[in-house]
Amino acid sequence: MDEQFKFTNQYRNVLAIAAIGGLLVFLASVFIFKPDASRVWANVLLNNQYFLGISLGAAFFLAVHRIAWSGWHTALQRIPESLTAFLPVAFILMLLLFFGMHDIYHWSHYEGYDPILEGKEAWLNVPFFFIRMVAYFAGWIALTRGMRKNTDMLQDSEDLKFHNRRKVFAGIFLVFFGVTVSASAWDWLMSIDGHWYSTIYGWYVFIGMFVTSLAFMILLIWFLKRAGYLEFIRVDHIHDLGKLLFAFSVFWTYLWFSQYLLIWYGHIPEETSYFIQRREDFEMLFWLNICLNFIIPFFGLMRLDAKRQLNWLAGIAGVVMIGHWIDYFQMIMPGAAGEHAGIGIPEISLTVAYMGLFLFIVLKALASRSLIVKHDPLLEESLHYES
Amino acid sequence: MENAKTITIVFDDEQPLLQAVKKIRESGANIIDVFTPFPVHGLDPALSMKRSRIPLVGFIGGAIGGLLGFGFQTWVFTVDYPLVFGGKPLLSVPSFIPVTFECTILFAALSMAGAFFIKSRLKPDKKFEPVDPDITDDKFLILVDGETSAEKIKTVLSGINTIEIK
Amino acid sequence: MIQSPLRAPLIKGKKTYQSITSDILDPMMSKPGSLWYIGIFISGSALLFGAFMIFWTIWHGIGTWGLNRTVGWGWGITNFVWWIGIGHAGTFISAILLLFRQKWRTSINRSAEAMTIFAVMCAMLFPIIHMGRPLLGFYIFPYPNTRGMWVNFNSPLVWDVFAISTYFTVSLVFWYVGMIPDIGTVRDKIKAGWKKTVYKVLSFGWKGSARHWHRHEVLSLMLAALAAPLVLSVHSIVSMDFATSVIPGWHTTIFPPYFVSGAIFSGFAMVLTLMIITRKALNLQDYITVGHVESMNKIIIATGSIVGLAYITEMFMSWYSGVEYEHYMLINRATGPYWWAYWIMMTCNLISPQLLWIKKLRTNIVFTFCLSIVINIGMWFERFVIVVTSLHRDYLTSSWAMYKPTIVEVGLFLGTLGFFFTAFFIFIRVFPVIAIAEVKSVVKSSGEKETKKD
Repeated sequence: MDEQFKFTNQYRNVLAIAAIGGLLVFLASVFIFKPDASRVWANVLLNNQYFLGISLGAAFFLAVHRIAWSGWHTALQRIPESLTAFLPVAFILMLLLFFGMHDIYHWSHYEGYDPILEGKEAWLNVPFFFIRMVAYFAGWIALTRGMRKNTDMLQDSEDLKFHNRRKVFAGIFLVFFGVTVSASAWDWLMSIDGHWYSTIYGWYVFIGMFVTSLAFMILLIWFLKRAGYLEFIRVDHIHDLGKLLFAFSVFWTYLWFSQYLLIWYGHIPEETSYFIQRREDFEMLFWLNICLNFIIPFFGLMRLDAKRQLNWLAGIAGVVMIGHWIDYFQMIMPGAAGEHAGIGIPEISLTVAYMGLFLFIVLKALASRSLIVKHDPLLEESLHYES
Repeated sequence: MENAKTITIVFDDEQPLLQAVKKIRESGANIIDVFTPFPVHGLDPALSMKRSRIPLVGFIGGAIGGLLGFGFQTWVFTVDYPLVFGGKPLLSVPSFIPVTFECTILFAALSMAGAFFIKSRLKPDKKFEPVDPDITDDKFLILVDGETSAEKIKTVLSGINTIEIK
Repeated sequence: MIQSPLRAPLIKGKKTYQSITSDILDPMMSKPGSLWYIGIFISGSALLFGAFMIFWTIWHGIGTWGLNRTVGWGWGITNFVWWIGIGHAGTFISAILLLFRQKWRTSINRSAEAMTIFAVMCAMLFPIIHMGRPLLGFYIFPYPNTRGMWVNFNSPLVWDVFAISTYFTVSLVFWYVGMIPDIGTVRDKIKAGWKKTVYKVLSFGWKGSARHWHRHEVLSLMLAALAAPLVLSVHSIVSMDFATSVIPGWHTTIFPPYFVSGAIFSGFAMVLTLMIITRKALNLQDYITVGHVESMNKIIIATGSIVGLAYITEMFMSWYSGVEYEHYMLINRATGPYWWAYWIMMTCNLISPQLLWIKKLRTNIVFTFCLSIVINIGMWFERFVIVVTSLHRDYLTSSWAMYKPTIVEVGLFLGTLGFFFTAFFIFIRVFPVIAIAEVKSVVKSSGEKETKKD
């Protein structure tokens, strides 16, 4: 049992064209339409966060399955594993924000009297912002590498110590991730609206990441199966991924609603201003967010057979991917770009460019080893898995 | 259920039971029912049982519950007794959601449980007598209708570990 | 189903179907031991004491409690939230772990669900007696009354009524439907007599037909799929009793998921307390093994850490918010007059579960038992801190007050503890504590036995 994904020149070329072409179109649109700098930088942040979220969601998926002794996921573990290979690139891209700080984060350059922002200065200042960024990424990269290395060792060796080491890495990752996922969401997203705060925010962002990541995994499996790979992934695995996508879409909605309801109900001006801006200036996207991330996956995946048909499931996953892009747009743009925000050529071309780059790195990592981890001690369970 | 014209085959484990179910169905004999102490994995497809429609009942029940719950609150606060609470609009959708949700769950759960009891004809009955009191302990039992002779069943099941055929 | 040889068996001692039936039913059918009598005597006395305090409260009014105008919610609501939270573990085990296909749940789900039902009954007591005139308790339901008015559907307290009554009903249905096959077993095993007739009626004529099993399985899965969001919604709605207000320490958006997590955390602690006693008293060590205790301990670490993260998030945000009332709340909780409650909560909930990262400790039964009680205390104090420290310092300094419970409130709490344990003691005499049929269905693949591969 040994199946290798071939990252052919055809794939390489398509992805390289997408990445470079997308970037060129983006730059051209910036020079031609001259959008406000805040819109340009907010776009960079949006895509950074979006693709970083896919990687981190995949890392969480692996860590939580490993620590819970899950057997079923072992046949498809190489897919989330290769999604985590993007993290170092995400780090470099995130560092680019250094040049856009002033355009996105009001707190980095405000003038005059603002006691609220002054009170936050111990946390919200540029040096500490980047120190934290480096710390988050250092942890994420090191721990996901640790997991990936040991999985690779299991390709050749039957030694259980690699399996056990992965579990140790998974445990440390979960603890580290638990703290940093919220903190990074406060830093990069919540601080855009510098006066506003919401305690649930970090968890809300985190579940959004996880759902996006699940949807992306489903799409990747769909693509690989169409290309003739992954024969060993059974309909039962697809079914379980579908159930997870369904359940966590509902869970995301629960968190969304909890935040909205409590702020709406409490009606404290400092808090409601966040939603008032989104509901009045971005009304269509506000409702589209709920529609794409809740209504469509909820009704689309409710039936048993809907979760077992890969084509249908992939379609829903695609909708959810778009939905969560819009969700990040909702979080970032109103605060960062305000009236300059919009969805047009710059947004689409930059996302295409990022997608090209992301897939290039992910598929390259996927092609580096066999698609199946031959000596995973729980693999047999997964190959004969019935849901 | 238990008339003179049935044949009872008893097993002490699930594996022979599953094999026997397959063999009996291949031989053309008609299985009236199978009794087991716990849900046997693989028995439903072996008997080509259709998937239960309990989930559909639940969906309909839940939809009715949800619509009733939401509709009732809307009617109360916009038609029957409009009253402003806490500066909120009369039709304040977010605060109607929790009750709507609970009504959905309640109706869905009760309708499914009801459907289960009605469809399975299970009811409190003090005169009830089990087919065989050991079924709920450790015996597995197939009931075949009397069209087929016991002799034929015995030949069909030769080689399978049965406890008793009568 | 293939199972990796790495996995330890869930059920010890090579069991046959027959021995499973007798292992679980024998302690139920034989005469109870002296421990049982002692247990029910103690819990029954507490129950009677509580019943007297209920009478006292209703006779003399809420004035017998230590509440005042500033602290209008004290032990009553604390106990209410605590009990509801404990109930959540049962639903978590029976619904969410079923959906996640955790086979080890089969040994503990029955008693955990029973625990849920008793805990919710304890919880429901408090709002009812706090009404002062419990006989008018039906006012909380929307019914066409003579004044033509309805309840206020915008109020989280009304949401509570719907959430908790739904939760109680659905949990009861789920528990009972799941128990029907096992009641059938009891019915077929018990000697003829009036008891047999009762079990006949209770078993709904269960005969183990394959079609019934099929529907039963579908129903269980569907009820689990409903109970999973339900359990989330219930404690979320309970948290909204606080979070929809504008009181510092109450109005915070993290409350719904944080309450749910805390609920499961405390509930698992209570399940552990009960299960460790039960396995010993009923001789069920083969079914509720150290492995089960370890798995539950892992869930305790996970949920406890989530609760810890929520504490840290709240602390950070009350500083970050820049709101002076939030700042004061943070300082007042840690250093104000109720500092001891805050630090008990922190130690018991944030620090003590972290000890379970050590494998030696989480597989130690005695340690786990003690820790489970520590966590129960900690989670009680969490609710106390939330309720009392947020209330006792009002926006108006002239309204500042202190709150001390009276013997009546303490007695009510003891009474619910008494009810809970009495009900559980009766339960283990009347119904099988372990889901017999479910254990039988996993013993082949997960029992200590040669696994047949095919």
